[in-house]
Amino acid sequence: MVDQQKLKDSEIMLKIAGYDSKALEQLYDRYAPFLYTLIKKIITDKDTAEEILSEVFVIIWRQIDNFDFKTNNVYTWLITLARNKAVDVLNRKGGKLLPEYNDDYEREYIIPKLSPEVKAIELEEVLEHKGKMEKALGSLTDAQKYVLELSYYGGMDQEEIANKLKIPTVTVKSKLQVAIGNLMQKLSEAE
Amino acid sequence: MDKKKVLELIKLEVLSCLNEKDKEVYEDFKLSNDDFPWKELGEYQHLVSLIPSILEIKYPANDLKDKTALKLYNIREEIKAKIEAKKAIEVPAEPVSEEIVLEEEPLVEEKSGFWGNNESEEKVLVEAEEGININSDKNVPGQGSPFKIKSNFKEKTGIDTFLQDSKTETESNTVLKTSPDKDLIEKTIREYLKSHVIGEIELLKKSIKTNKILSMIFFIVSLILILALYFLK
Repeated sequence: MVDQQKLKDSEIMLKIAGYDSKALEQLYDRYAPFLYTLIKKIITDKDTAEEILSEVFVIIWRQIDNFDFKTNNVYTWLITLARNKAVDVLNRKGGKLLPEYNDDYEREYIIPKLSPEVKAIELEEVLEHKGKMEKALGSLTDAQKYVLELSYYGGMDQEEIANKLKIPTVTVKSKLQVAIGNLMQKLSEAE
Repeated sequence: MDKKKVLELIKLEVLSCLNEKDKEVYEDFKLSNDDFPWKELGEYQHLVSLIPSILEIKYPANDLKDKTALKLYNIREEIKAKIEAKKAIEVPAEPVSEEIVLEEEPLVEEKSGFWGNNESEEKVLVEAEEGININSDKNVPGQGSPFKIKSNFKEKTGIDTFLQDSKTETESNTVLKTSPDKDLIEKTIREYLKSHVIGEIELLKKSIKTNKILSMIFFIVSLILILALYFLK
């Protein structure tokens, strides 16, 4: 019998595509803490965060056909999926007017649309590079870090950030672009 | 639009931070240009996904796995339908012999019952495996009191029951691929009848029609001959 602990993320996904629930359990064991950490950062309420995590795995099970097995980037797909779902719940709870949540909406706004040229990465590699990411993020100015945080974890758009910080939208736009650009540069230098 | 401008839009897109106007421009460009920087988009998507990697890991409640399993169990019909749809695409309908049709049908019924309540209400005993976290003290709707682990056996509940069920489902799919279900069988029989028996019936009908015409001709010729003989006499 093949030890599933040693399976690659992409191999697990392939098994999930065949509706192998043991593989989904394997994915849960591997990713649940990581996804939960991200969701909890976005939604601070523990019960809601857990509910979202649970929903994310239901989405994976139901929408596995929408995973791109050519690029096989499980990590980025899962993180983006969890983030999209958590931000959607956050925005709805915050009273933002959004279309009705149904299958079409889920496919359009929750399921990640990754580039066909996105680089595949395993969770283990991500954790190995944690120090480099910390260093790269640490090199950003406080203002850059703040707008990045409001955007990524706060799910805010340019206007919302501008209103919160009482600065022009163009400034927010510029700060976000510079922050992401610098982050890319610093991370590339660290590698 | 030059590449620099597209890259600036990509930086905002990966944060889901494009405004309506920019989003429209971005989507148009993405759809209409062969030289869209997909590689860069991939790199920025990857970069943004690394942002939460610096967070201190937190753990969800232990029973969340069971709750998730229950949710998955509740959508089993939807998943079953998806599996059936996939199967229909993967296994094209081929004429099957009548003996197979009649023998395989009960097997399909039997297999489809594993998602039902009977299975979920049953207590499944599995050999205990070290290192596997089974929340055996959790109740699952339809199940009795928690089962105490005795000897080297323990009760399989929640996700494990679901997982076992689902595994059986996967296994049964393999069987189902070679044993078509009721609808498929009926469809195959209809197609077989349509292509073979109905064709023969049509031929018979044509043949009867031809014979009728020939009979009429013979009858008329015979009548003429009889009349001719009568008048010659």
